[in-house]
Amino acid sequence: MGYRDVAKVGIGGPVGSGKTALVRRLVPALVEDGNEVGVIANDIMTQEDADVFRESFADLVPADLVEGVETGACPHTGIREDPSMNLAAIDEFTERHPDLDVVIVESGGDNLAATFNPELADYFLFVISVAEGEDIPRKRGPGVTQADLLVINKTDLAPHVDADLDVIERDTTEVRGDDPFVFTNCKDGSGVGEVISHVDREVLFA
Amino acid sequence: METEPGAFLTALRLGDSFLPVGGYTASYGLEQYINEDRIEDGDDLRALLAAYLRRVVGPCETVALANAHAAARAGDLDRLLAVDERLHAVTMPREFRESSTKAGAKLCEVLLAGELEGGEPDDEADADREGFATAVADAVDRDETPGHYPVVFGVVAADRGLPRLEACLTHAYSFVTGLLGAAQRLGRFGHTEIQTVLADLEPVIEAVCERHVDDDVAAMTSFAPLAEIMGMRHERAGRRLFMS
Repeated sequence: MGYRDVAKVGIGGPVGSGKTALVRRLVPALVEDGNEVGVIANDIMTQEDADVFRESFADLVPADLVEGVETGACPHTGIREDPSMNLAAIDEFTERHPDLDVVIVESGGDNLAATFNPELADYFLFVISVAEGEDIPRKRGPGVTQADLLVINKTDLAPHVDADLDVIERDTTEVRGDDPFVFTNCKDGSGVGEVISHVDREVLFA
Repeated sequence: METEPGAFLTALRLGDSFLPVGGYTASYGLEQYINEDRIEDGDDLRALLAAYLRRVVGPCETVALANAHAAARAGDLDRLLAVDERLHAVTMPREFRESSTKAGAKLCEVLLAGELEGGEPDDEADADREGFATAVADAVDRDETPGHYPVVFGVVAADRGLPRLEACLTHAYSFVTGLLGAAQRLGRFGHTEIQTVLADLEPVIEAVCERHVDDDVAAMTSFAPLAEIMGMRHERAGRRLFMS
């Protein structure tokens, strides 16, 4: 058993876009569906952060299936050019839990150019926030254009930051063509069900 | 004697941060020195890295690499495993051991196991060489040996015909550039200042490799108590961007 024998979902996106909030929604739903899930968070800053992360999934995921991986202040390298330390962590998961179904790999917060190495993630979600500016999709960053699913989060903040959701939707359709995207508010859970459906369909039943 | 072109390219490949073995995640205690404000300028950095070279990279890792190289040339797996075991025993901080064994396992995957798949050996010597590389990769994969980075590095170098001293120089150089890169990401060092520190350390790299390339495996030792304490404190540091 090794990293090649388990489904891997990558979650990338800029700092503060809601990657962790999405992981916190996604993991319980996957566990509820009967999956054994592992979680890797890149660039947690202290051991205390790692402990908090383990506590938040305490009833859902065994402690030895939650791991923090430091990427030497190079979050994009850790998921793209050299994912070896993330793959090593997944190998350790599969050695301890041979029946593992899926591993969620959350990238450290990065820029719009971050994409996942296809050997690290079978399916790659990119999370942006409307509060980062309504022009994010039309900048055509590789993360936005190449992700298997684009998640546009914090829709509740749109009126407070002069972001027009219609403009974001129009630009996203233009830059992504037929590739899917979902509007979410991970805080209250709206749109998250649709994200889970995509992951279910494209990863777990693929 | 001139280095063969293929071996020279192997040296470049092994010394390049492009090699995907996770080297950029290791600081070998440097992050903790910076967390504790013990490294503030280029002079501090130069002094620290010179000490790493003289007390760890030379008498410990270079000795391991050189002896692993010799064991690989002789096709002596038991000797190689003894080198690996000794390096494991003399590397005290847990995170130093983990950074080294994780990178070693990835180097095995990328350059020993990965490139052996496909292609029949040309002759008996080629088959022996491939057989040894496969045996090492298998032993590491099955956790029968820790698979430290300098040990696997020595096997790869021997396998590709890179001479022992050149292999040791390549390893020591990449150790230094790896830590200088880490220092730039953690502190505030200019790129020209970093290049000056690197240039100043080149004679040290040369001296420690020449001094230790012929050492017996029993001489393998490291003496860097403060670096080891920094490595251990890093386990519960207030800031951790690096795995070690």
